Amino acid sequence: MNMLYRPIFGIVVVLVFSAYFIPQKIRYFNSQTISLPPDKTQAYIVDFKDSIGIDTLFQVKSKEGYPISYYRNIKTSVCFDNKCRLLDIVLYWNITGRYLGFELPEKEFLSKTEHEPFVPDEYKRLNEILADSMSALRTLSYNALVPRYNAKTAHADGITSPSAPDVLEYIVKGAAYTTYIMWHFVYGTTQNEVENRTGKELSAPLLLKILESPNLTDKIWALNHSRNYLNQSPELQIKLFEVVDNKDYNLAERAINSVNLKETASDNLQILLVGKFAKGNYALKKLILSKLKEAPQLHNQTKEDLAHQLKSLNGELLGNVLDIFKKHDVNDAETCRMVAELLENDNSFISQKAYAFLKNIKIQDEVIENKLVKYKSGRDLNRN
Amino acid sequence: MKKIQRRAALSSIGAMSLGITALAKGEIVSEPYKIKKQTLKTDILVIGGGTAGVIAAIQAGRAGRKTILVENGSQLGGTTTTGGVAFPGIFFAWGNQIISGIGWELVQAAVALNDDTLPNFSIPHGKNHPRHQVRLNGQLYAMLIEEKCIEAGVQIRFYETPTQIMFKKNNWIVQTMGKGMITEIICNQLIDCTGNAYATSIAGFTVLREAETQPGSLMFEIGGYDFNSLDLKMIQARYQETIQKGELVKTDFRNNIVGVLKSKGDNISHVMGADSTTSESHTLANIKGRTSLLQTLRFLRTLPGLEKTKLVDMQNETAVRETYRIDGHYKITHADYVTGKKFDDAVSYSYYPIDVHDENGVVPDHLKEGIVPTVPLRALIPKNSRNFLVAGRCISSDRLANSALRVQASCMGMGQAAGATAVLANLQNKTPLDVSIKDIKEMIEAHGGIVPV
Repeated sequence: MNMLYRPIFGIVVVLVFSAYFIPQKIRYFNSQTISLPPDKTQAYIVDFKDSIGIDTLFQVKSKEGYPISYYRNIKTSVCFDNKCRLLDIVLYWNITGRYLGFELPEKEFLSKTEHEPFVPDEYKRLNEILADSMSALRTLSYNALVPRYNAKTAHADGITSPSAPDVLEYIVKGAAYTTYIMWHFVYGTTQNEVENRTGKELSAPLLLKILESPNLTDKIWALNHSRNYLNQSPELQIKLFEVVDNKDYNLAERAINSVNLKETASDNLQILLVGKFAKGNYALKKLILSKLKEAPQLHNQTKEDLAHQLKSLNGELLGNVLDIFKKHDVNDAETCRMVAELLENDNSFISQKAYAFLKNIKIQDEVIENKLVKYKSGRDLNRN
Repeated sequence: MKKIQRRAALSSIGAMSLGITALAKGEIVSEPYKIKKQTLKTDILVIGGGTAGVIAAIQAGRAGRKTILVENGSQLGGTTTTGGVAFPGIFFAWGNQIISGIGWELVQAAVALNDDTLPNFSIPHGKNHPRHQVRLNGQLYAMLIEEKCIEAGVQIRFYETPTQIMFKKNNWIVQTMGKGMITEIICNQLIDCTGNAYATSIAGFTVLREAETQPGSLMFEIGGYDFNSLDLKMIQARYQETIQKGELVKTDFRNNIVGVLKSKGDNISHVMGADSTTSESHTLANIKGRTSLLQTLRFLRTLPGLEKTKLVDMQNETAVRETYRIDGHYKITHADYVTGKKFDDAVSYSYYPIDVHDENGVVPDHLKEGIVPTVPLRALIPKNSRNFLVAGRCISSDRLANSALRVQASCMGMGQAAGATAVLANLQNKTPLDVSIKDIKEMIEAHGGIVPV
């Protein structure tokens, strides 16, 4: 997808551009996190501690003041077979640090080992490779781009530098070094810098915008950064809990984990969590109960909702709920009676959980006491 | 003072001349140890506390059945923990979770307690399936699963192995031998989770094996070098020369010394013929793995840039991929697996590429998009057996299907299915094959598992 703006580099910190498109440039782009038109570009001088070192990172902002993308003008050497060539390219990042795209200066093109220019499919392939954050290029070394040693062809390898067979699927054929260098720029220190810059400008509205991105990596990024913002925005709370369902485990897990300790005290959040508990699958139920266990206090409504579900829970989840009750000193007669009913369960794993909870609670309730006596005598009978 | 010392010395000499041992303060003479014999009764016995066995035992315990888990090692978890292959997979297929329940719960717990992060399962793994494996702290996982077994009321018996298994009066009588103990365990339902179909074989049922099995792996970690500054061509050349001289074995590290250095030892070793079935065969596999590592370590330290190579860590057992499989009521074939055949009696899912390691390494054959294989109950039951189930890599399957079924998440799914089936068979006084599939599925789901639809 082509972007509709072109950045211009400058020395001054803040520059303002209008959006326009230059067709003769080679440019490949992926979907942007926030689809707002560019308004301003801000330049930051950064020591990237990569092969370029001190360089400029440009941040593009929307009219509303949201960061919408970042870019760097990369000029570096690609060296192999004792020869070096200049790589001159602009690399773009989304505000979440995700690779966004690349653009070549006017009349520039990328070429392969034998100076053969890239064809459109190869640019497309390069764009796909750069978008793959999990590529094996992360662990490959620059030296490993040459084939494994083979005595018969060792001499020829040294001259032609063909790509090693096991790296072919991760690079553009004939341009292994160029692919490698670009990938490592994309996922190098710039990515962290981009994330940090966006992190400094985070707000609940910006997080809401990022959560609207169709890209899962963006959503995960937003969820990973939502801690401490939930209490500021009911809209963010609602949006965040929209992803807590049985459809996507990663999103649900991140959303639940984004609730911080202080926020777990909120009655609204507890009600949202318990609501999701009722509908969630086993894996989600476990996560939600772990989160509720962290809460500094348990709201009455939360306690009641959980207590009413006790009968339908399996032994493990029952144990988790009783642990929460124990932590929060739940010892009222109504709840304890519900627990006491489980003493009669045929499954000894469940009845033992109920007994372990009740035996340490000092409560004067005839119904509960009778059930405890009956449970103990039945257990003793089984032992004998 | 001198007088007292002299008197004590004379007393000792006197005692020695009479053949009586002189005792220091606090010492007592112990009677010669007699091997302790005992009989235990239980509803369900799980033999093998590895990836599948732990889940089967917890499932049985949580369903309220009296359960014993026999493990011949010193900790639970098998390949995941003792073997060091602490990256179980794969629980998600094509964006959906296909294996959950007790296995996933334990993985979740280990991830949370170690502040680890999960891979993004929504992004397809492409040809790189390890992206969807969950990296765990293996030793932490070993402690967590032990705790969960105890919580479920499972009686764990370490250091014991079965020596005799007989079926009498609708019960299995299993004799185990451990350190100073001979135990007779009478159980109604028996689950073989040894990985080697060892209990199945002792019980007298047919087991199958390929003429050539997949190599095992000794997991280790090396360090003390900067990979990016190494002259890999020179290292490769020296490695080949050393192999030619017969000083290193080509197959020990897949003929790939760069791979050893790059992975730092992670899942790169190949111990040809590794077999953990008996103490003798497992001893051999361990010695072979350690010998090749030691020789390779010495070799590496002779190379420029690798002079300070160090062994950072090493597992104390060679992990094994393939040994024996049962001859079950149904044998899952390669075609079944790669087409994702939906069996009427499917009790769990499996998902992994066909993954046969050989002397050259491994080239996984990935499943086509949307394919999710299933595991029929019949493949977990040996022919002609009663009250007997298996779970784990010894599942009835052909070699290619087995190369995918053998992985940890699939074994966890099978473990829960076998545990649930054994519980119902015990409660209903039936043999597993006669238990209703609907009942089995309901029990698995009640305990958080996912069953094929």
